[in-house]
This record gives sequence, C-alpha cells and structure tokens, in this order.
Amino acid sequence: MHTQADIAVEHIIVAENLGKSVLTSEGMLHILSAVNLLIKAGESIAIVGESGSGKSTLISLLAGLDTPSAGKIRLNNHELTIMDEDGRASIRNALIGFVFQSFQLLPGLTALENVMLPLELSGNKNAKSLAAALLHRVGLAHRLTHTPRQLSGGEQQRVALARAFVTRPVILFADEPTGNLDSKTGATIIDLLFELNHENKTTLILVTHDQVLAARCQRTIKLDSGAML
Amino acid sequence: MSRFNLALRLLWRDSRSGELTILVLALIIAVTSSTAISVFADRLQRTMTEQTADFLAADLVITSPELQPANWLAKAKELKLDNAQTTEFSSVLIENDEMLLASIKAVSKAYPLRGYLKVTGSDYLQEQTVHQGPKLGSAWVEKRVLSALKLKLGDALTVGEKKLIVSQILTYETDKQGDFYSFSPRVMMNDADLHATGIIQPGSHVHYFFQYRGDSKALLEFNRWLKPQLNPSQRILDIHNDRPELGSALSRAERYLGLSSIVVILISGVAIAMATRRYTERHFNATAILRCLGIKQSEILWLYGCQFMFLGLVASSIGCLLGWIAQQGLFYLLRSLLPQQGANPSWLAVFFGFIIGIAVLLAFALPPLLRLKQVSPLRVLRRELEPLPTSAWLVYGLALAIIGLLLERYTHDLKMTATILGVGLITLVLLGLLVYGILKLAAKLLPQMSLIWRFGLQGILRNTQASVSQILAFSITLVAMVLSFTVRTDLIDNWEKQLPENAANHFALNIFPEQQTAFQQDMLKNGIQHSQFYPVIKGRLVEINNTPVQQVVSKDSQGDNATHRELSLTWSKSLPEENKITGGEWWQNAQPGLVSVEQKLADSLKIKLHDQLTFTVGSQQIKATVASIRVLDWDTMKPNFYMVFSPGTLDAYPSTFMTSFYLPQTQKNVLNTLVKKYPATTILEVDVILKQFKSILTQLTQAINYLLYFSLLAGFTVLFAAVYATLDYRIQEGAIIRTLGAKRSFLTKIHLIEFGLLGLIAGLITVVISEVLIYSLYSKVMHIDYSPNYYLWLIIPIIGSLCVGLAGYSGIRHVVNQSPVSILRELSS
Repeated sequence: MHTQADIAVEHIIVAENLGKSVLTSEGMLHILSAVNLLIKAGESIAIVGESGSGKSTLISLLAGLDTPSAGKIRLNNHELTIMDEDGRASIRNALIGFVFQSFQLLPGLTALENVMLPLELSGNKNAKSLAAALLHRVGLAHRLTHTPRQLSGGEQQRVALARAFVTRPVILFADEPTGNLDSKTGATIIDLLFELNHENKTTLILVTHDQVLAARCQRTIKLDSGAML
Repeated sequence: MSRFNLALRLLWRDSRSGELTILVLALIIAVTSSTAISVFADRLQRTMTEQTADFLAADLVITSPELQPANWLAKAKELKLDNAQTTEFSSVLIENDEMLLASIKAVSKAYPLRGYLKVTGSDYLQEQTVHQGPKLGSAWVEKRVLSALKLKLGDALTVGEKKLIVSQILTYETDKQGDFYSFSPRVMMNDADLHATGIIQPGSHVHYFFQYRGDSKALLEFNRWLKPQLNPSQRILDIHNDRPELGSALSRAERYLGLSSIVVILISGVAIAMATRRYTERHFNATAILRCLGIKQSEILWLYGCQFMFLGLVASSIGCLLGWIAQQGLFYLLRSLLPQQGANPSWLAVFFGFIIGIAVLLAFALPPLLRLKQVSPLRVLRRELEPLPTSAWLVYGLALAIIGLLLERYTHDLKMTATILGVGLITLVLLGLLVYGILKLAAKLLPQMSLIWRFGLQGILRNTQASVSQILAFSITLVAMVLSFTVRTDLIDNWEKQLPENAANHFALNIFPEQQTAFQQDMLKNGIQHSQFYPVIKGRLVEINNTPVQQVVSKDSQGDNATHRELSLTWSKSLPEENKITGGEWWQNAQPGLVSVEQKLADSLKIKLHDQLTFTVGSQQIKATVASIRVLDWDTMKPNFYMVFSPGTLDAYPSTFMTSFYLPQTQKNVLNTLVKKYPATTILEVDVILKQFKSILTQLTQAINYLLYFSLLAGFTVLFAAVYATLDYRIQEGAIIRTLGAKRSFLTKIHLIEFGLLGLIAGLITVVISEVLIYSLYSKVMHIDYSPNYYLWLIIPIIGSLCVGLAGYSGIRHVVNQSPVSILRELSS
C-alpha cells in the first residue's frame, strides 16, 4: 500500500480526479472528467484519442498552461492547482519543455535567439553558448542567424526541439510534433526527439494521432469524450 | 438589396473585432474638427457679411481724421440723405484711484442710422434694444469699465473735463469693429458733451465717422460727388464695395485653425489607413472563400464599399454633431474678440464637415480596401497567395489631393497652398528619414541590451513604418502645441525682460504746443525722467519720385502696411537718440525739404538716397528729398519714427507733441494729476497695453490649442491602430513567452518600455524640432532673444513617454492578462 508521500516521491506527475468544464451558450460542456494519472520520472507516455477527445486540454492542464475545474495536479512535488499564473510560469520555466505542432517560434527572433529565450528568462548567463551548442546538436549550426521565415518546416521544428531541451527540462510536453511535417521529415524529428529525451532522461508526454509514434512510447493513455479508457 | 443586407450583417460581425472602432473614432475626430472649423468660419463670415449695414451703422460711411466740411452736409441734405456722426478716440479715465485706457465714442443724435445698440440696467435685467445713443450728460459703458474703475451705475465718470453719469451698461454696439482699438473698453457719450471734455483740439488723434443713409441712387450720386474731394487720409466705406475687414488677429486665427484642422485630418487619415490595412489583411481569407462561393470581383468591392460607406455616414453624422458642439467651444474661447451677436451657421457649413468625412474615408481607406478586390480564390488552397499592394501613386495621390484641396480652401491662395504642401511634404519625408535613422541606430544597440529592453525596443523596430507614423503623428502635434505655448510666453516675457531698468513705461501723446512747456515742467517737478519731446503730424506717403507708392510696394509687405495708414511724421534738428545713420548724412544746417527714412521701410519701398518723396498732410502735399537712412531699435520704448524731416519742412501744419517717460509704480498717482490737468493728452501705459496683448494672445492660442487637442486624440488613434495592426503578433509573442515561463510582469514591462520609448522618441524629436523652429522664428522673424528652453527637454519627453506608454499599454493589457493556453486557442481559431 502506497501512501500519498510515496506516490509523490515515486511519480513526477500526479493527477487526481482532473476535470475541465466550460460554460457555453448551450450549457456546461465537460471537456475532461475524472482523469487520474500517475507518471514516473523518465517515463514516456503517448496520449491518443479522436479529435475533440480532450488530449490537448489534458496536456495544457498537466503543463500548467490552464487551470482545471476540478481535481489536483502535482508536478515534481509542486501542487500546480493552488498556484497562480505567475507561480505556474516559474514552474514551466524551471521544469518543463514544450514542442508544438505549429512550432510556435517567435518570427522576429533568429534561431539562436529563439533557443536562448527560455535561458534568458531564467537569468542564465551562458544562454548564448548553451543555445548554440544545442542548435549544433540538432544539426542547425549553420542556421543560427536565420529567422523562422528563412527556415523549412523541419528546420523550424528542430529549433523548437532545441528550445525545448535547452533548459534541461524534467518533463517535455509535445503536442502533435509532426502534425505539420511530411512523413519523412516527421520521422527524422521523432528520432531526434527520442534521442534527446534519452540523453536528458526527460519525462516525455506526447499527444499524437499517429499509432506508430504512440507505439514508441512506454505507455499509451487513450481518451474518449474527455474520459480515460 | 440582399447584398446590402449581407454587407451590413458582415459589418455587424466585424464591428466586434475592434479595428473598425479605431477607424470610426479617427473619422469622427477628423469630421468633428473640420466641422467645427467650417461652422466657426462660416458663422464669422456670415456675422460679418449679413450685418454689413449694421456693422457700418449706415449705408455709407466716411472715415476721416478731420472734421466734416460743411458742403458735404449741404450736399447730403440736398440729396435727402440722413446723416449721423461718431467721434472715436482713446482717453485715460481715472476714478477711485484706478486708471483705464478707454476707447471713447461720442455719437450724434441720429446714430445709429442702421442697426441698433443693446443696453442693460444691471446684470439681472433683460437687455434692451435701442436705436439712439446716450442722452446729454450721460455715458454708457461696457461692463469691464465699471469693474476696472470700481464704479456702479449712477456714478459719475469724468471724461476729460466733463463729468458724465453712467446710466447704462452697453452690451452690443452695431458698428464695433474687430481691430485692436476695439479691445479697449468702450465708453459711449453724446457728442454734444464732446466740446466740454476739452479733449478734441486741432491736431488731436481722433477718428471721425460721417454716416449717411438714404435712397441707393442718392447714395451713389453722393458717392460720385464725394470721391474726388477726399484726401488720402479719408476713406469711403460702402456696403456694396467695402465691408469691414475682420480684425487681422481674427482672420489669422481662422487661418491657423484651418491649418490645425488639416493636421488633425492628416493624422486621423493615417490612423484610418492603418486600420483599414489591418481590416483588409484580416479579410483576405474570408474574401477568398466568398470568391470560391462565386462572388465576383466587382461584388466584393461593392460589399466592402457598402460597409465602409455605411461607417462613413454614421461616423460623419456623429462628427458633425460633435463639431457643432465644438464650434460653440471655439466661440466661447474667443468670446471677447468676437461680435456678441454671432450669426446662425448655415447647414452648408455642417454639410461641408460631412463631405470631408466621406472624402477623408475615401482618400485614406479606399487604396488599402481595393486590395480585397484582387484576392484570388486560389487562396483557399494556398494561404500564402497575397494580392498585390495598391499602387503607391494612388495611396499618396489621393491623400495629397484631399489635403491640397483643404489647404486651398483655408488659404484661398494657390501659391501658398503649393508652398505649404511642398514644404510640408519635404519636411515630413525628412522627419520620417530622421526617425527611421534613429530607429536603425537603436537597432544596433539591441545586442548590448538586457532581455526586457531588447523585447521592448524590438516592439518598435518590428514595424518601422508604423512606428515612424506614430512618432511623427505625436511629434507634429506636440511641436504645434509647444510652439503656440512657448512663442506666446516668450514674446511677452522677452518684451518685458528687454525693457531696461527704468525704461520708459508710458507714452504721452497729443500734447499741444502751448502746453508742452508746462507739461515738461510738471514732469521735472515730479522728478519724472522723460525722453525728447517730438512734434507729431499725421501724414501719408503717396509718391516716390512722383510714382504712386501703390505701384512700388508689394502686397502685405511692411511698406504696404505703412502706406495704407497715416504715419506719424516728425522733425528734428539732431539725430534722435539711439538712431544710427547707415546711408547719407544727418543735416548739419537746418535746411527744409529733407527727410531721413527708417532703413527697413526704405528697403521695403525701395527708397534710396536723394529720392523725392511726396506726403499728404490733410489736403495738402509736401515734398522732401531723402537725405539719410537710419536704423533704430523699435523696442526702446522711446518715440520712434519712420520719417524724420529737417526743421522747417512741416512748420506750416498744426502739430502735437509726444514723449515717453518712466513712472515707478509708487508714483502712479502723478498720472491722475497729469490726466486731469491735460485732458486732451493721451497717456498710454505700456503695462496695460501689454496686458491687453497678453489676453488676446492667450485667447487666440487657447483656440488653436483647442484644435490641437483633437490632433492629439488623432495621434492616439494612430497609436491604437498600430497596436491593433500588431495585435496578432503580440498575442502570439505573449503566449509563447509565457509558455516558456515568463511572468506577467515581464510582458507588462516590455510593453511599457516599448510604448514609453515610442513616446520618449516622439518627445525628443518634438523638442529638437521646436527648438530649431523657435530659434529660426526668434532670430529671423521676431527678432527676440533666443535661449534654449531646458525645461522643455525634460518635460516633453517625460510627458510623451508617460502618455504614449500608458495609452499603448492600455490597448494591449488584455494580452498580458489572458492565460497562455486561451491565447494559443485564440490564435488557432
């Protein structure tokens, strides 16, 4: 029998009875209901489900981008649900990395500046050299001064990967990371993602439609109409 | 009709997005200011035109510095013309130890032949319209005479040597004209009391107005008969040919107000163009879908055109209403300079404001809107397909055309319009390049900056064109405000400051020759320092080397002004103090027939040494040869003259004397004695005149600033239009930065820095341009001392960064306050 404390020590993410509802013109819409999750450090999890099943809502709650309507989330022993937005921002900066389907790079910044940004936000003095090293690692050493518009989709996602890993996050959230890429480029990016994940021993939580990709994760969580199957 | 309904439905949906709000606001501001000016100018013109006969108080008026010859009256009688006469002059009034320079008007029994007067017994009584002036022994005064002299109705008021009973407050005077003298408070009396005042004596500085009323044929005949008999100092005012000009101060104010409203239109236009551009770009996708659904290019244009016309009609109507209210404000600000009974404005003037609204919308919104017509239906598949930008010729051509048309309307002068347009355009381009250069220079500093400052500055550099527009919009408005405030203050301060310690602060005019010695002795007795006594004769320069001056002089020049009025002519054996000879020689032996001319006037009229000048004094002519050219300092507060004759030249004409003297505040009561002893002498107090000028300047600049507030508002619409244009980017940037762990305070700071910097740059540019303009104005035009306004360097940039910083931040604060995930959803939706 595990105690609450044991669970917290053993698991980097603990979600209890998580629910998210929004009020619409047609009444209350339940996007997620009674989701319970225990994720161990270093684990890789795929969240799968139909469109509208609540996948993106679940990771936005787990990553502290949004607040649940019900339930609790503990992230590396920090209870997210009692924190305000700025408290959650600090947690995101310290513990979390993100990779999005649409890359979400800042168009006004160069590749190097985009990767430096999370380090600079945490006040890291070696932001430039660390960012350059990681861009080198993802194969973009020759693209440091290029802005996102000057990069291909695959290159932009590499920059996004470099940005996600540059702070050495404990947890990485990836929302359909290959959704905007062709299958060949997508495969390369996924390889890179898993390599980096392995090197950094990061906990990976991945939202995907792709069964092959889901199969590369240690565990798969399936959502249907906001509930875990 | 169904398409029109569709257009309105689409408009209703778009109205919730916000960018149309900016467009409508900018348009309302432009229409409000142009309607206000249009209605204001129209009311002023109509007041002047409709009431011309009333303004003259007769059908025909002759102004003259001399008494009416008896044969004129006989001829008028023969032609069955009614006649009246008024006599106007300045006089210092003293009551209860208070002094006031008043403008006295003595009116004959028949005055006014046309129009009416309005009087009231006290504040609480209704105004009464009357058609006759005061009765014998009584005086009607403007209300400020009572307060200035601590009098009440029924008290005695001494004009010269005559005691009059103040019986009514004069509230409206039909023929009060808008020149400077009419700013002196009025005292109206019966002209049968005039002799008893002892003020009018030969040579006194007096304006007579001989007024006639009657049948138009008889008037025409009288006019024809009279014309050849007039000397150059007499003038006919005829309701058909002449109407009293607006006071120059007012007509200039009207012009400046017109130009200020163009600035408002220009700045609002920029906001409209920016808002429409964003609107257009956001509608590329929707348009592509409509095109896919089978709507033709022309229908697309019609659809959006309808929406914009509808907006134009609504915004222009609101603007017209606000403009109507705003012009009441202008009338209120200028109330003491304007006739009390303003005419009602015409609907045409309001309609003009409305037309301006539609024209401004077309000129600034049409070019970006035309892009929607070019949207390809293929865009539904390929989002990157963007329509070609509108031709720059169309964009700038339309804007220039409307600004040019408006300029022409306010200046009524094609050459001036072209000059203002040309100079304005070059200035704008140069300023734009300057701002662009500053921004590029700032970009070089980026790598050395901390993250927050880098993001803040990048906000400005992201869209340099929009930033330049915003900075210029604020700078131009602020420069106009700084100039109107600083020049006014400095003009008065410098004038006061330039006067040396114990410089003359009073002028005494109309001292009669037989009183001169006594006057001088009285001054000595009281220990008053005075300058030389100069004889003064009023005369007019009519010919240079036997050529009429009107053929020599260029319009509106100094010479033109000097030849349109009577000059004060004097003679002197010695060169007046502080005058310097720059050409020719001062006469050694008093030899009649020579004249010394002031240099600037000589330059303006192209008068050279040894030229022969012809003057008229009354009905006689005098010829004199130019013996020397002099320079002098007009600010010395001593009697200064354009024309000084050699002794003996003017002996045959009656003259009075003038001098200036210094009277400390503690000795002001001496004036009391002097005025009572020499009632015909006019004493001008420099500080009183300065005070009057100050109040006129203050009112005029307040009116101009009133318009500049609109321009400041327009500047804010440009700011908000620019903010909205970058809103998508800001939302995305905010969302990403916050997702990466930035706190709200970080975003707040970068936005405050961005807009604060924008305001700071606008403020600094304002100060630099203002200082350059002030320096040029002071040194080249106004000839007053320039010193840098250090406080401006501090205050303007601070005000700029605070106002723009807070306004800009308020426009995007919701970006900061939204949760990052909702922002991401907003983006993808």
